[in-house]
Amino acid sequence: MTANATRKEDRDIEIRIKDVGMTFKDNRGNSVEALTGVNLDIYKGEFISLLGPSGCGKTTLLRMVADLLEPTQGSIHIGERLPKEVRMDQKLGIVFQSPVLFDWRTVRKNVELPLEVMKFGRKERAEISEAMLDMVGLTKFADCYPAQLSGGMQQRVNIARALAVRPELLLMDEPFSALDEFTKEKLHEDLLSIWRKTNKTVLFVTHNIPEAVFLSDRVCVLSPHPGRLSGIVEIDLERPRTLAMKETAHFNELVARVRNTFDGGSL
Amino acid sequence: MMSRFWYKFKKWLPTLVWILIFAAVWEAGAFAVAAVKRTPENVLPHIYQIVEAAFSSKKVSGGKTASDLVLYSASLTLGRAALGFLIGSVSGFVLALIMKISKIVEKVIFPYLMIIQMIPILGMAPIILSVTGDINTSRIVIAAILTFYPVATGTLAGFNSVERSKYDLMHIYAAKKTDLYTKVLIPSAVPYFFTGLKIAAPMAITASILVDTLQGDGGLGTLLSQSLKHAMSVYVFWLIVFFSAFAGIFSSKLMGSIEHLVLPHKRTARAAGKGEAV
Repeated sequence: MTANATRKEDRDIEIRIKDVGMTFKDNRGNSVEALTGVNLDIYKGEFISLLGPSGCGKTTLLRMVADLLEPTQGSIHIGERLPKEVRMDQKLGIVFQSPVLFDWRTVRKNVELPLEVMKFGRKERAEISEAMLDMVGLTKFADCYPAQLSGGMQQRVNIARALAVRPELLLMDEPFSALDEFTKEKLHEDLLSIWRKTNKTVLFVTHNIPEAVFLSDRVCVLSPHPGRLSGIVEIDLERPRTLAMKETAHFNELVARVRNTFDGGSL
Repeated sequence: MMSRFWYKFKKWLPTLVWILIFAAVWEAGAFAVAAVKRTPENVLPHIYQIVEAAFSSKKVSGGKTASDLVLYSASLTLGRAALGFLIGSVSGFVLALIMKISKIVEKVIFPYLMIIQMIPILGMAPIILSVTGDINTSRIVIAAILTFYPVATGTLAGFNSVERSKYDLMHIYAAKKTDLYTKVLIPSAVPYFFTGLKIAAPMAITASILVDTLQGDGGLGTLLSQSLKHAMSVYVFWLIVFFSAFAGIFSSKLMGSIEHLVLPHKRTARAAGKGEAV
């Protein structure tokens, strides 16, 4: 466990997760602990990953931050506010594993959807979607329909849409896990450059160790049965990150350190 | 140019083969019947005789040619079918929407919707006729009832096809119920609605024709039973049979064309613009 509070304690805390747990009843009425006793402070502008095997509660934790689930124990604050307040203020951006696109809308109109919900005017919507599509490199495809795009391009549309609302934080739930390795690497680099440009706090859920190490400032390792935070690994690779870093001994050492942070035997 | 023609030809080849097989089997039957002695004369005539009858200027009844007679009756029947179809589709869509909005309404109504579908039209028609007291109205009502079921169930399936993640997305954006319906649920249901329409359109026409046969007052069904009883022209019967078949197929294809007109994303080629970026 690499506690790192000393170096960062002067930074603003964006998300404060305190003693958070999630218990639900299964269909036989037994209580199942999906997540228990999670304490985590996430700093403003940080790229943080929740890493773990299925059943470790990483997606549950993200969904609680997104106000899609309410914790049964503990509390979550984003800034001074509850997730629900931030959500009602339309300050959350989310990217799911599957590209949640509307196939009757063009790429541009998909990006503009949240802006329509937020009652932006036509001109403002067009300006924002133009800028977002430019950022993810899809300007040429603005008038295509989602079915005409590859999986990687569809996820780019999702990222553009998530950022269109100028969110306080960007939540990503295994966004690249369905993509092939080449597409994934390209999107990793592009995501990092977008992140640098926008300074958003990113909460990134994944089960892929090298992915978490390559992208993150810190990797939170979760273990299952019951889901819990086993440790946090600080990733001190310099930025901007390049694919060449994946070849270095230090990168492999970090991957090993993350792997060793999982609670042995419980997988 | 040549290759485009070839492409089109290959696309239509199966249809062409089917038509040829159909004509061959038909004609084989027609020759077989003719060899025995045709009584009554309208059993399986040769195809050319039917075509001839369609273009013949011979007045068969009330100073009208066979084709005029069929087309006039068809306008009555198809008009009623279209009106019933319109009423049925609108109410089917609206009911599906209400069932989606209210789970209670869905639980109460949905199981009983099936029952309507299980009653044969010919059993239902006299009931409707005695309730409405008017053959014209009852024809429209029955076309509407038959349209209603596939449209309502299809549209409801469309509403229920929307994945959890789309609700989650709208939840994250703090979207109101009206936004959820107008921007996600209703557009998602539209292709399913059209599937319902494609199934319902020929059914509405069939129902109209069948109910025509119950009581006179003009219409394809009425003419059909007359042509069997009175020998006005043996070929009127066959003209009606073919006309009805084509009207049914055409009505369904028409719905498909309207769907393509309404939903532009169904028209675009999948491959356009692929492979330029990841």
